[in-house]
Amino acid sequence: LPKEFDQLINLEKLYLSGNQFKTFPSQICHLTRLRTLYFGGNRLETVPQSIINLKRLEILYLGGNQLTQVPAELGALDCLRALMLCDNKLKIIPVALSKLTKLRSLSLHNNQLTTLPVEIIHLVHLSDLSLRNNPLVFQFIQELEYEVPTLKELSGRIIRNSKIPYRQLPLPQCLVKFLDSARRCPKCRGVYFDTRVKEVKFADFCGKYRLPLLRYLCSPPCQSGNSSDYSSEEEEAAQRQKMQRVLLG
Amino acid sequence: MGEDFATDLDGLIQQLRRIFDEDQVDVDQVIKLLGSYKSNPEDWMKFTKYTRNLVDRGNGKYNLMMLCWGEGQGSGIHDHANSHCFVKMLDGGLKEVMLEWPEGEIEQPMTVKDVNIYKKDQVAYINDSMGLHRMENESHSKHAVSLHLYCPPFGECYNFDERTGHKRKCCVVFHSCHDK
Repeated sequence: LPKEFDQLINLEKLYLSGNQFKTFPSQICHLTRLRTLYFGGNRLETVPQSIINLKRLEILYLGGNQLTQVPAELGALDCLRALMLCDNKLKIIPVALSKLTKLRSLSLHNNQLTTLPVEIIHLVHLSDLSLRNNPLVFQFIQELEYEVPTLKELSGRIIRNSKIPYRQLPLPQCLVKFLDSARRCPKCRGVYFDTRVKEVKFADFCGKYRLPLLRYLCSPPCQSGNSSDYSSEEEEAAQRQKMQRVLLG
Repeated sequence: MGEDFATDLDGLIQQLRRIFDEDQVDVDQVIKLLGSYKSNPEDWMKFTKYTRNLVDRGNGKYNLMMLCWGEGQGSGIHDHANSHCFVKMLDGGLKEVMLEWPEGEIEQPMTVKDVNIYKKDQVAYINDSMGLHRMENESHSKHAVSLHLYCPPFGECYNFDERTGHKRKCCVVFHSCHDK
């Protein structure tokens, strides 16, 4: 793309599909009036973060490229109504996409997605969602691996959960940074740092699909459902059965 | 008897009406007729205003519809409500993935039985006894336009979830401002 392309500042529709671009020309991110960008069927490997400048973008077609990820900056394009990411090599999609409240159409088929971020249920106006040909998790699978937490992790959790005012203490910066980085467990409202457990739950979406949604919890006990009301023996047996079915394929 | 040949869309519509006027319709004859028409955008551009456009009601015996497919657009997996379905490619191409009917009540992934590619001017045919299918425009840079004939016409069909075989009723909708 010629360097001078960035001078077409009034351009609203740009169609570059079916070419052989390997890199996303940075000139495009200067075209701030762009409303429609079709860049399908090329060989794009990345999308630049500067795409955030295309604040008026309503339709973005990136299907049929070589993308292994897309930048979280896409989530800042609040005018986006249609986002096509089909036929790429995406393993995950950024949580930030759940901020695209105007999104009506999201195409993710033919990728390598195993789960979707749970926040995707915020896309209440989504009427078209394509997910076929992704290795989406079929059944609830309990995460077997759980690394034993380090002493640092355990101490950090106690400090945060007990709300000890650590910032007032003479601590090395790296420890303060570590303590600041705590994340909340959505189940028990405790915190975790580096040690966490994956939970995949299936949720109904738009009444049409059952999606595997991924979130992180602080520890395996948080995974096993609500509380004392469950007969824990029954539940364990059910979980074991599910595991057998999954392992046996 | 007329010839099973059409040089323009109006001619095609007339020939179809003639063939379907009979009590018995030969599927191969219809396929041959549809295949004989060499697609000319001037004939059909006016029917591409919406995604699904009704072209002719075939005296109540069939629905003739024009479908416009955007880049990467595909349909769900669907059945054909015991009707015959012919698809004539007018522009671009469509990939057809044929699947077996789900068996029994167990939830399990559906089996693909065949994959066909239809290029411009080619004709596809399917009915429920042959299985289910999904149609998709695989191109990321070209639209596709297809002409569909459903006999008898139907207003509802089932949509299937490929991962579980679960089916759900859905309505067939289209725009009919060009109704004859």
